[in-house]
Amino acid sequence: MMDSIYRFFAGGTFWDILGTFYQSAVFVYGFTLLMAYALLAAMSLTSIRNYMKKNASVNYDVIVESPLAPGISVIAPAFNEGVTIIQNVRSLLTLNYPKFEVIIINDGSTDDTLDKLIEEFQMIQVDYAYRQKLNCEMVTRIFKSTNHAYDKLIVVDKVNGKSKADASNAGINVSAYDYFLCTDVDCILDKDTLIKLIKPFMDQETVKIKELGEHCPECGYVMTQELHRRVIATGATLRMVNSCEVDEGLITRVKPPVRYLPRFQEMEYIRAFVLGKMGWDLINCVPNVSGGLGLFDKEIAVMAGGYDPKSFGEDMDLITRMGAFMKDNRKRYSIRYVPLTLCWTEGPTTMKVFGRQRSRWARGMAQIMSIHRRIIANPRYGNLGMIVFVYHFLFELLAPIVEFTGVLFYIYLIITGQINWPFAIILIVFVYTYSVMITTLALLWDQITFKYYKSWKETIGLCLMAFLEPFIYHPLIVFFSMKGYFNFVTGRKHTWGDMQRQGFGNQQKKKR
Amino acid sequence: MWRDLVDLLWQAYEQFGFLPLFIQVAFSLIIVAILATITAYSSILYKRYQAYVHEKRLNFITPKLEDLITEQVLLNEKLSMGVPVDEIEFDPVPLSDKIYKKIWVRQVMIDVLIQYRKNFRGDVGELLRKLYIDMELTKDSFEKMKTMRWERKIKAVIELTQMNIPISDVTILPLTNSPNPLLRAVARNAYIQLSKNEPFKFFDIATEPLLPWDQLEMFRIITTTKDIMIPNFSRWISYSTNKSIVAFCLKLIAHYDQKTAIPAVMDLLNNKDHYFRAEAINCLGKLSAEIAEVRLVKIYEHQPLNCQIEILRATGMIASGKYLDFLKHELMYSTNFDIRMAATRAIINHDSDESAAIIKEVMNTTYEENRIIIKHCLNPLIRN
Repeated sequence: MMDSIYRFFAGGTFWDILGTFYQSAVFVYGFTLLMAYALLAAMSLTSIRNYMKKNASVNYDVIVESPLAPGISVIAPAFNEGVTIIQNVRSLLTLNYPKFEVIIINDGSTDDTLDKLIEEFQMIQVDYAYRQKLNCEMVTRIFKSTNHAYDKLIVVDKVNGKSKADASNAGINVSAYDYFLCTDVDCILDKDTLIKLIKPFMDQETVKIKELGEHCPECGYVMTQELHRRVIATGATLRMVNSCEVDEGLITRVKPPVRYLPRFQEMEYIRAFVLGKMGWDLINCVPNVSGGLGLFDKEIAVMAGGYDPKSFGEDMDLITRMGAFMKDNRKRYSIRYVPLTLCWTEGPTTMKVFGRQRSRWARGMAQIMSIHRRIIANPRYGNLGMIVFVYHFLFELLAPIVEFTGVLFYIYLIITGQINWPFAIILIVFVYTYSVMITTLALLWDQITFKYYKSWKETIGLCLMAFLEPFIYHPLIVFFSMKGYFNFVTGRKHTWGDMQRQGFGNQQKKKR
Repeated sequence: MWRDLVDLLWQAYEQFGFLPLFIQVAFSLIIVAILATITAYSSILYKRYQAYVHEKRLNFITPKLEDLITEQVLLNEKLSMGVPVDEIEFDPVPLSDKIYKKIWVRQVMIDVLIQYRKNFRGDVGELLRKLYIDMELTKDSFEKMKTMRWERKIKAVIELTQMNIPISDVTILPLTNSPNPLLRAVARNAYIQLSKNEPFKFFDIATEPLLPWDQLEMFRIITTTKDIMIPNFSRWISYSTNKSIVAFCLKLIAHYDQKTAIPAVMDLLNNKDHYFRAEAINCLGKLSAEIAEVRLVKIYEHQPLNCQIEILRATGMIASGKYLDFLKHELMYSTNFDIRMAATRAIINHDSDESAAIIKEVMNTTYEENRIIIKHCLNPLIRN
């Protein structure tokens, strides 16, 4: 043993030793990452099967007519969404749930978004007792409809805060109920979204309190500790709406996107949600609830400070702060995921928009790791510190860097003729077949939850994208991630840009 | 290129034992990955095929079953002639068809009968039940009850409950305390629906919690099942050690407006759990328990925020008018926004000349934020 170590260090120059060390470290890193994926795949299968078994006999209709249903505020920020706003709001108003309100936040739109809302839904300005619990730009007006058919609708007009987080905070400030659902106004939600997402909150055990210390002799107050595991957020799978058939804000036929870029994204979303999030759900380590769809416990979200308007990854940032708040206050919590697709969103179709989105996400990840660095590997934060943050630091934040430097090193070895081609090819084939396997398993797990695609050709067609991904899509992700990190390190100003929505109404017209 | 790759892999296989460990591991995992991918593809296709076959089978059998039900039950001549359900005999020929011996057909038959029974009550519903019994489908359901798999047990309990087939207490009562929350919930609902004498007996022995989701279904069953003996729920308020049962009873007491339960509910005001206390206060408000008002106002000062808000709401629901000054004080001087909102709503809820005068007076004397709170609460367009 000592002999081999000696040979390892004495065998060459400093650069040789560094090169050997780097290769060994990358191998261990890569192998651990791939094993983690295998573990996630096994855990997600267990989690999905548990969910399907447990929900097979559940009568979801019972909540629709129950007076005991908890209220939910649906919060949807809108910025220059004039093309689709009416259809989208109508879609949100028809959600199947007995007690909810829809809060549309017009985030200083410069188009006719607000005018259209006022005209279509017969809105008038009201004296609303607005209280700023969370930081956001100034709310200028609040509107309610004079038509009882739209009495669930509230429109908030505010000064543009240059982020979705700022608008969402304004929505939370206006919300009346104990739970809030955050979504994008252009997303299409499944009719039963609220029912499916509120269930994990209602499956938690009733509140258990333990008293700590003695009662105050004057007022009788006693310090208490909550013993139950409180569900603080739930999320569900998102999918691309790009090639789906949509009618009046409803998905009438689910299809995988025809264009390559959103098609890769669909595959990636399925892998991230069905395999990733569901796997983490099994061990109560869900790292993030997507900004496109998430139901939150308002009390905890507000106490944790709400969304951070300056964050580039506001969704993960909120979840992290909620989790850290619970741990700091010695409360047990869980974040739950539902393997069903409840939200359809429009994926970027151009490289420019896609690149901007991915760079922002990468920058957001770097920012979160930097802001919450005290949590990384800190046992005080339990699973959040020891599993979620360690995994994300090593395998989400560092992965593009390791990969990028790995490619450069590979090129160097090729140029200097140091490469062992047979071994190199075996390793490349290994990584390739393994990544294809993981993606295919994710698509299989997705099929277990629900057969979204009507024909087997559509399903297999999507599966085949896994063979192309390592050559086309994955290098793009690495490139844009590196760009995001570069922007983060250099502090370059970020421009949010325009998503350039197609609009579902237009899409439908085109089809006709 | 493929040929070269295959040659390379073959060479690697031949020299496997002499390769470095990491190459051996990589090589093994290539084989695993390829096999797993092929299996995944096969599974995807097989699952789709299975679903297709299942759908085809259903499309074949469902119309047949519906015809049978239409002929034997819905268009039954004897039923329309007013013959009692017990005396009606089904035509034995269609019922003895061999196809009804197949297990999967019998399961579809049970599912279809349950669907029909959800839509038909009265004599038609009873005749559907008789068809279920005469076709000996009860045996299938009871067979499922005997299995160890909880999901099969749940299915069985649901089938028997929907068909109103009694299950002995010895079988069902232990299930009401099952550690499996789903089985427990289904068994409890079944017990309430099927037990003729004491549908709430399991409240006495329930040690496992009654989850909020399960309360929805149970609440619906209790409030919609006909001929159910509604007890005085205060007995569980006083004696049950199961907090979730007590919390649920509070909701039932409020729903059935059981004023006799007020003293028992008032005892909960001493409970140390402030969430629980808040629920008790809410219940007292819904019961318009004027007797409790003085106590609520007395304890107000030392309560946490959630209980204080519930006390203000309760005072608004009771609306005796005795504590309007207290509410006015909270509206004018509290530093907490939510308390001022709750106090305003409580004053408005009184709906009396006195309360209107207070609102008018405060509007003229208070500062801008309170005025907006009052306008907010008075606006009929704003419900929350």
